[in-house]
Amino acid sequence: MSTVTEDAIIQLYRNSFPAIARMVRQKGGTLEEAKDAFHDALLIYMEKEKTGRLSLQSSPKAYLLGIARICWLRARGATASLPAAFDIAEPEDADQEEIAQSLQSSLINSGKKCLELLKAFYYDHCSIQDIAGRFGFNGARSASVQKYKCLEKVRNHLKTQNSYAQ
Amino acid sequence: MRSELNEIQLTERWLLHQLSETEAANLHARCMVDEAFAENVEAQRNAYRLIRHYARARERRRLETIYRQLMQEGDFAQHLHSIFT
Repeated sequence: MSTVTEDAIIQLYRNSFPAIARMVRQKGGTLEEAKDAFHDALLIYMEKEKTGRLSLQSSPKAYLLGIARICWLRARGATASLPAAFDIAEPEDADQEEIAQSLQSSLINSGKKCLELLKAFYYDHCSIQDIAGRFGFNGARSASVQKYKCLEKVRNHLKTQNSYAQ
Repeated sequence: MRSELNEIQLTERWLLHQLSETEAANLHARCMVDEAFAENVEAQRNAYRLIRHYARARERRRLETIYRQLMQEGDFAQHLHSIFT
């Protein structure tokens, strides 16, 4: 696993965000919109980095500027295309977003550790050995079993909430 | 592992395209005739989406915290505000 550290994110912020803010300003946008577009771009950057699929043809700043521009245009209703990494994860409309947040809230209340474990494995791409150490399991086997138990918990929770559809 | 967890593991391998064509075809066929299994598969597919949604929400909060920290630095905040004035 390769992760973007806190220091690296701050460095990216200092180096890249002013240029993105200028670009958004020139197109008539606000600081808040620039920040949101930059965060979308950073998420894409970080996710690609985590999965080893970040292939920069230019500097990180140029990459973030290009992606943030697309994110900002999309937020304004344009039909610009995003890279494949940022495709199906999040509900597109407000209703789905609301349902997902509601489900998350109830899941967080009943088992935040489970969600953190699942995030570490499926999103952060930590190894099961790393997860065993981080979450205090006896070994990889215990961590793996717990991962499936947690997945079962989320799955069963979703089955009781038939509103979270595709 | 108990049988339910083995089924979750198998479903995961299917959804992550880690099964052979024959194994995948068997599970696909099972979905056609076993409504409870099909429901479990769909719920598991949605579980992965929810985990990613949760993870992204966590990362967004982290980025917001960094933004607020940086905006408390006079030079950084002033530079940004000058762009929008």
